[in-house]
Amino acid sequence: MRKIVFQGLILLLVLAGGVYLLTRMDWIRLLRIDRATEKVEQKLGDLIWSQQGLDELPKDSTYKRVDAIIRRLCAANQIDQKRVKLHLVENGEVNAFALPDYHMVVYSGLLKNVKNDGELAGVLGHELAHMELAHVMKKLGKEVGLSVLISITTGELGGDAIKEVIGMLSSSAYDRKLEKDADVQAVKYLKQAGIDRNDFANFLDRLGKEEAGIPKELSWLSTHPDSRERAKYIREME
Amino acid sequence: MNPFFYTPAEYELEKASNSYIMSLLVVMVGLPLPIINLLATLFFFIANRKSTYFVRWHCTQALLSQFSLFCLNSVAFWWTVTIILNKGEGITNIYVAYLVLVVLFNLLEFIMTIRAAIRTRKGVHISWWFYGPLTDIICKP
Repeated sequence: MRKIVFQGLILLLVLAGGVYLLTRMDWIRLLRIDRATEKVEQKLGDLIWSQQGLDELPKDSTYKRVDAIIRRLCAANQIDQKRVKLHLVENGEVNAFALPDYHMVVYSGLLKNVKNDGELAGVLGHELAHMELAHVMKKLGKEVGLSVLISITTGELGGDAIKEVIGMLSSSAYDRKLEKDADVQAVKYLKQAGIDRNDFANFLDRLGKEEAGIPKELSWLSTHPDSRERAKYIREME
Repeated sequence: MNPFFYTPAEYELEKASNSYIMSLLVVMVGLPLPIINLLATLFFFIANRKSTYFVRWHCTQALLSQFSLFCLNSVAFWWTVTIILNKGEGITNIYVAYLVLVVLFNLLEFIMTIRAAIRTRKGVHISWWFYGPLTDIICKP
């Protein structure tokens, strides 16, 4: 009996050791899995944006103002700013969202609602964090399915599927953990860029107070739950 | 060394060898579900449960080895299913590492099973590491 236990333990050790040693290798890079995903994301992002049908604003001074904030955040946080494709859209809703392959959509309603650049930087930082943490593809993969996404890029599925994807990314929140991760990351970005995080918290607080009155117009808020709680932990973050 | 107190007859060698071949056959006909190998070996085991000691012993050893392989393969199978259904974290490094390990173990098991089938057919008693002593406890003359 002792022999069996000993041999069984050795077998288990070999198994566990085998897994441990094999995890030392970067299989994702070795098998180019990440590059395959990147290509799908790139194709999907371009395709969605080219067929979205949103009313994009001209690249005037407002565009430059938003772009300058993104540049500042990117430069301070070693993010490749060239990857970010900013789109300002004429829409009264207070909303901003990220599409695949670093397409960032900002509604004019948000720009009118922020009191200063710090507040806007908070929202942009949050969306930038969703992009950098690969939340966009994670969410789409989970809710739409990777097979559907690939079908969109190959042209098997057309306009309706694309509209559904845009609708999902612009009107529904990521899950609670991803939202918090994006907030935490956004605060880091703000700190590195020398922007006061209290502006971001103030924005959330202000909209949180208005939440009961005009929920429909405050899309960004209604898709991001517990805004006052978020404002609280943003202020308390180390 | 043959621990058996008698020399197995020709038909016993054939049946004992077949117990190993059963699991291989299923792999060869291309059934990817991990349970199939185990079921094939289990059916053969049940069919021979009243056979001679030599046959029962090798059927048991084949079944035990298939059972542990089944556990390993099942984890890989359901992990893959969750990825396809987008329920998990997706393809991660640890998933690929586990898959590589499972492939290596299946390959090792495949080679060992072929060897055992051939050697048993020739009348040589093959007792595997861990599975042999375990079979000694489970299978009595």
